[in-house]
Amino acid sequence: MLVTYPEAAHWPIDPDRLDLVEEFRRQPRGPHGDELQKLLHRLRWAGDPDQPGRYVLIVTQPGKEWMLGRLPRQRGRPIELMRNHVFTSIAEAEWEVFKLRWEAVTGRTLPPHLSEKLV
Amino acid sequence: MTDTTSILGYAWPMVVSPGEEVAFHLSSPSVSKADAAVVRVRCGDPDPAGPGIRAHEMAAPFERTVSLVHQVIRPGSCAIVADAPALTSFQSFTVGAFLWPTMPGDRAQTILSRWREDTQEGWRLGLDADGHLEFVVAAGGRTWRVVTGAALLSREWVLAGASWDAEAGRLAVMVRSADAQAGRDRSECVEAPGPTGLEWPAAVPLVIAAQASDGGGELFDGFYDGKIDRPRLHASVQPIDGLHRLCESMNFPMTDARLIAAWDFSRGMAGESVTDLSAHHLHGRVRQMPTRGMTGANWDGSTDRWTDCPEQYGAIHFHSDDMADAEWEPTLRFTVPAEWRSGFYALRLRADTGDEPVESFVAFFVRAELGKPRSRLAFVASTGTFLAYANSALRLDQVHAEAMLEGVLTLSRDDVYIQEHREVGLSTYDTHADGSGWSISSARRPILNMRPRGNVFNYGNDTHFIDWLEETGQDYDVITDDDIHRHGVQVLAPYTCVVTGSHPEYISREVWEAFDAYQRSGGRHMYLGGNGFYWRIAYHPTVPHTIEMRRGMTGLRTWEGEAGETALAFTGEPSSTWRSNGRPPQRLVGVGFDGQVFTHSSPYRWLDGAKDPVLSWLTAGIDLAAPLGDFGLRGNGAAGVEIDRVDWSLGSPPGTVWLATADRLGYGGTPAPEEIRTLHRGVMGDQNAQVRADLVYFPTANGGAVFSTGSIAWVCALSHAGYRNNVSQLTGNVLKRFLDPAPL
Ligand SMILES: [Fe+2]
Repeated sequence: MLVTYPEAAHWPIDPDRLDLVEEFRRQPRGPHGDELQKLLHRLRWAGDPDQPGRYVLIVTQPGKEWMLGRLPRQRGRPIELMRNHVFTSIAEAEWEVFKLRWEAVTGRTLPPHLSEKLV
Repeated sequence: MTDTTSILGYAWPMVVSPGEEVAFHLSSPSVSKADAAVVRVRCGDPDPAGPGIRAHEMAAPFERTVSLVHQVIRPGSCAIVADAPALTSFQSFTVGAFLWPTMPGDRAQTILSRWREDTQEGWRLGLDADGHLEFVVAAGGRTWRVVTGAALLSREWVLAGASWDAEAGRLAVMVRSADAQAGRDRSECVEAPGPTGLEWPAAVPLVIAAQASDGGGELFDGFYDGKIDRPRLHASVQPIDGLHRLCESMNFPMTDARLIAAWDFSRGMAGESVTDLSAHHLHGRVRQMPTRGMTGANWDGSTDRWTDCPEQYGAIHFHSDDMADAEWEPTLRFTVPAEWRSGFYALRLRADTGDEPVESFVAFFVRAELGKPRSRLAFVASTGTFLAYANSALRLDQVHAEAMLEGVLTLSRDDVYIQEHREVGLSTYDTHADGSGWSISSARRPILNMRPRGNVFNYGNDTHFIDWLEETGQDYDVITDDDIHRHGVQVLAPYTCVVTGSHPEYISREVWEAFDAYQRSGGRHMYLGGNGFYWRIAYHPTVPHTIEMRRGMTGLRTWEGEAGETALAFTGEPSSTWRSNGRPPQRLVGVGFDGQVFTHSSPYRWLDGAKDPVLSWLTAGIDLAAPLGDFGLRGNGAAGVEIDRVDWSLGSPPGTVWLATADRLGYGGTPAPEEIRTLHRGVMGDQNAQVRADLVYFPTANGGAVFSTGSIAWVCALSHAGYRNNVSQLTGNVLKRFLDPAPL
């Protein structure tokens, strides 16, 4: 059986590379440079191992509004809806998820100028 | 937020002719009354950047208020042998089979039983909650049990059985590992005290891979995950060598009166019956379509097709989540009025009871009747592909989904439902709970991603073409894959032009050959999609709207089948990609699948082929210096998502005019696995010109022609700027010429 392993992505993330964070904030939907692509691959592939499930968006109004949720790794378990995290653009949602993941994987809080919402 | 899941249902049949009856099988756990209306679907995509949901309400001849009840779905496959005198004609016995368990230790599972779970009587051979082989015999309120010491390994063959010696009052359970070394040996025989005589329960079926819940013969539980090969039941006490001989044997002398049953699952592979080789004819039937044509414990690798050597394919892979028939009662029936046009239709159910409005659709298709076209144009509903994708949980279950889609997963209400309600049955993209591939898909169950709203892929994308036809005032018939499969080229022949949509990916041999014959006999085919004519599937020989596919060792596959299991049980044909069956899509439609791109879609640029004055009908009104399709609802371009290219070595016809290409897709362009011989860097779209979408035209025999766009995103660009754009113009130019009967 051919299996895909969530722990396969292991590009080393340097917590000092805030330039990559800034690059992502400028263009959450890309295009991205080589190193940011590798960083994003690691975060997206691993799927939030520190959380009870992968961060996902639930469409609340098609094309207009999305809610953050956590998708459990076990089938049959309900998706957790995070009702106070609602976004009106995909870019804004991508940035919020990126920040959560960056802080989880580096163990560091982002400096104030990088922790705000996307405008 | 619209509640799309509190009412669910399915239409049967899924495809009807005008004048025929369709039944809607509906269920709701929370809504008792709903407003029902039939709509003709024009656009099923709710995206506010496009046309939005557009559905025309029909005057349907039924009472609009429908009463709903909750109907449950009972997944889980097993084989059921109706009770018979032979099954209670003995006391001492031995029972066993070869086993390849896939979830030992997940929960208690029953392998072979004549057991009533409600009254706890009879006998059952199974795995206990920890994966040990367990044999239980019970009657009159007393239970005897024997269990092995070691749990079975997942995906390793063992001979597993049990015996009851009524004279000695002994039970035995026995395991013999096929590969008894290097840590894999689970061989053991354990004995325990048993009864000296028993009264068997009355009227209980013998069940393979589950047990009867009660005496009604309809409900089952204790479903087993994994393969069972050559189960045997013998009215004697046999040691493991004797059981081994029984299970290995395929020929039984009629002089052995103690042989109660010996099932050979390699007989009648396509159907739903299982055959007993004994003199008792204890044949059974399977429920919920387990996977047949599976390698047995005796498979030696000498062939990879069960048709070559059926005796090595005596295993059935049962799944506790197999689901082929929801078995819901019909809620509403009506006869489609004879004057209704063919098309994509749906029953729309609305209710206003809870916090959110409920609006749920149940899709069905009205076909243009065979031999009675009402237009010169037919649009094909890719029902084979809709079934292959039915209730896909790919994004919920597969590790790679977010990386592949290049962004945080955006899930619909329907996805939220499927995550919690796996009983609706998944798609051929998914794996069963035990990790094995899901190879069968049927329409006798709610299909949440084949209807307006919800997830927009295939069905929703294809309705953008219907919307464009309606917008441009073009009349058309709708025909379906299922009908083309059944009646062949006759379904296509009446039409001057046939259009296939965004993703006609799953194609039976019959459907392929119908298109080939149509194109050769002067037909005009517009293929407006990507990754089309890709996988080889089969339709069930008797059950409508039910397909089977096997993902082989190549192709863009979300699971890989086991070695030796790529032939279809429904027909014996090889499955896998058409390319590995000697028919690359390039040969039929000029282009074939080469890659995916989800970062963003791209425009095409025109090539010299388009500048030939002979093709002025094709390019009329289009600026060939401007990008073609630098807009659209899927990634802001007409070339993207899944894409196809020209390849002369893979059979693009020498007469192909290569009109345009989108070959600058950037790093998001990812090649299909079959496009790469060996591993090296530089294969992605930013460096690899073979990852691209190509637009082609070629004439065929007898004045026919083919036009292909090689991109799923194409039809989702048609409505841009009020339908006035070069994608719309080009589609219209080709359609106009293809509808002109003058030879091309
Ligand atoms: Fe596909």
